[in-house]
Amino acid sequence: MTIEQTQVGTKVVLHLVGRMDAENANQFEKHCESCISEGFTSLVVDLEDLAYISSMGLRSVVAIALKLRNKGGDLRLCRLTGLVRQVFEITRLNQVFPPHDSVESALMEG
Amino acid sequence: MPGISQSLTLVARAESLGPATEFVTKGAREANLPESRIGELGLLIEEILMNIALYAYTEGAGGIVTVSFSIPRPGELAVEIGDQGVEFDPLAVSPPDLTLDLAQRPIGGLGIHLLKSFAKSLTYRREQGWNRLTFEISTNS
Repeated sequence: MTIEQTQVGTKVVLHLVGRMDAENANQFEKHCESCISEGFTSLVVDLEDLAYISSMGLRSVVAIALKLRNKGGDLRLCRLTGLVRQVFEITRLNQVFPPHDSVESALMEG
Repeated sequence: MPGISQSLTLVARAESLGPATEFVTKGAREANLPESRIGELGLLIEEILMNIALYAYTEGAGGIVTVSFSIPRPGELAVEIGDQGVEFDPLAVSPPDLTLDLAQRPIGGLGIHLLKSFAKSLTYRREQGWNRLTFEISTNS
């Protein structure tokens, strides 16, 4: 998995490409933690090019969202497709993270 | 498992996930499963294998996991995963409460829920010290 980072004002957009599985879920968590340590508390994660996520990946997403919430920030997800969308729907995490249709919409609200 | 065609034995650890996934993916291609099903198959293998790697054997004791597949008919793949670890029936695990808010969500349990959701005909049996979990995945499932 590769993670492309873009800063938009006080927020950070992370574009994930590839697969988030048991082997690399930790990579996502570490990347987000480094954003948090730089003072960013609002992260937008663009999942359009993420083809796969397992429960280990979900665990990392939830862990980061909790850390951000404890700092008064939040984690927003956008552009979920295919298997990734299905996984969020089946686990009903799409209700915890209402998915946005575009990066712009995820950045705008709130 | 009727009509076993191929089987692979691996060490029960996270590093075996790659070879196990590659092995069953080969079976899925032989069965002519579409790419979307192959993605789901990878997810099922990961959820089962990681559970075994993390919980089946006492830490440091090591252990093995067997991955077998057969093709009952074109467009259908039957998979069996076996381990000799502690007895564990994932079908007996209560479903997680998916209505809870983020802070109250249990961190585990989602893997088994995904497994039950994606796998067709998921069955478990304990047999002579082995946990044997079987499922099917097909073009139409």
